[in-house]
Amino acid sequence: MAKRERRVGYGWPTLLAIGVHVAALLLTIIKWPASEPEPTSSSVVQATLVRAETATDQPQQTEESAPAASQAEEETPDEPPAPDTNEEAPSEPDETSVPEVSDTAVEQARAEAQRLQEEAERAAQARAEAEAERQRQQEEAERRAEAERQRQQEEAERQAEAERQRQQEEAERQAEAERKRQQEEAERQAEAERKRQQEEAEAARQRELAERAAQANASSLESMISEEQQSIANAEQAREAANGFKNLVRRYVEQSWNLPPSASRQLRAIVRIQLLPTGELVGATITQSSGDAAFDRSVINAVERAAPFREMSELDASVQRQFREFNLDFNPEDIR
Amino acid sequence: MNDSMSIPHLIMNASLVVQLVMLLLLAASVASWIVIFQRGFALRRAEKAYRDFEDRFWSGVDLNELYRELPAEQESLGAEHVFRSGFREFNRLMAKTQSTEAVLEGVQRGQRVALSREEDRLQLHLTFLATVASASPYIGLFGTVWGIMGSFQSLSMAQQATLSTVAPWIAEALVATAMGLFAAIPAVIFYNRLSAHATRLLGKYENFAEEFHAILHRNLQGRSERAAS
Repeated sequence: MAKRERRVGYGWPTLLAIGVHVAALLLTIIKWPASEPEPTSSSVVQATLVRAETATDQPQQTEESAPAASQAEEETPDEPPAPDTNEEAPSEPDETSVPEVSDTAVEQARAEAQRLQEEAERAAQARAEAEAERQRQQEEAERRAEAERQRQQEEAERQAEAERQRQQEEAERQAEAERKRQQEEAERQAEAERKRQQEEAEAARQRELAERAAQANASSLESMISEEQQSIANAEQAREAANGFKNLVRRYVEQSWNLPPSASRQLRAIVRIQLLPTGELVGATITQSSGDAAFDRSVINAVERAAPFREMSELDASVQRQFREFNLDFNPEDIR
Repeated sequence: MNDSMSIPHLIMNASLVVQLVMLLLLAASVASWIVIFQRGFALRRAEKAYRDFEDRFWSGVDLNELYRELPAEQESLGAEHVFRSGFREFNRLMAKTQSTEAVLEGVQRGQRVALSREEDRLQLHLTFLATVASASPYIGLFGTVWGIMGSFQSLSMAQQATLSTVAPWIAEALVATAMGLFAAIPAVIFYNRLSAHATRLLGKYENFAEEFHAILHRNLQGRSERAAS
């Protein structure tokens, strides 16, 4: 009879209980295979690269013509700054101003395109090299395995050597052909990729060229020949305005701004705007009053009506941080 | 799920009170699982031992022999214990009195005591499981409420009340409730299961005691009739 067994100790139950908890803890710690975000393809990366660089380029250009640009902005603030001035491009260009303007524009564009193209080529080359390296390693492994197998076969079956040799040769030839085909394909792909990127760069260059020419035409129509330099700066400034989130906000606010009747041209108010990363308005306060309470109120109202600025969420995180809190100054002249 | 929202990370970053609550719940959970395993094994063995003993009892063995085979009083468990205490009482009283009622009453008393001891032994620690089952959700809830209080206090300091500033706090706080439920759910399930098992086994012991009593009664009845004739 098993009387002693009937008394159950606490050793095993303790171990089992701790085991249960460790298992539960492991379940929470283990990272279950989740669908990881696909690594962005190289072409997309390059696209963002291109834009980032044009963005860094522009401030330099605008800095050169900064005083002129600010003047131009005050004088013609309503000029549509977006590149969709293409549609509004006049049909009769000003003969006197076109060549010079487009010359500088073309030069800039060409330099830029050249750089882009070089970049694309470099990237494609690097990729092709990596591909070739991998191919080579694979080939080497294949070859080694092949040799090993061949030696064993020779030792094992001597009488069927000739036949097998022939077969092996054939197999090798096939493998060679296959390898060659793969290599060619890889090369073709790399070539195609490079060509595509070149085409892209070319297209971008063309587009930019056309844009710039059209813009130059537009501005030169409006301005005098003496203001050519200024008009280029103006166009640049307009392009930057399209890029700049701040100007976007300003435009939105100006669109929903009801000027009080008392507002005169000398009034000027600086508003501090706080935004959430989603573009929601946290608060708008007047940091420098215009002296006219009704005017100040109208500015605050306009900001509140224009919010939310959904474009905020499309910005980069680093840029976003910059716009969490920023100042804007308003002047009735801006919208007249 | 990023790294800062993983459960171990949340536990590490919780406030002291919440961590204490979690520790308490973890201890309760471990203890309740120990009880679950220990009771589960003990009840299963008790049931098996009862079946063996019943087979022996009804196999037609002489009761005196069976009594002598069984181990001493302190060692015997379950139905054996009931049988032993009843039979010992029977033997002692038979030597002292001729009254059938007195003998049977003594036997019954001895069996009742043995049954009550067995009941106590079978349901050992099950009240602990019941306590864990009913109390640990509240303890976890306390941890959660405390954590959320802390999160709102810190929220009042913050400049901007976005969801991302509150979310880690609340997630931390909710881990406490999750742990409370983690401790309570097995405790509830196994408390019901084990106590039902123990009650069933106890019912079997009682049936056995009645049957044994009936046998002794029949025995005594025959003897007294023989004595009368």
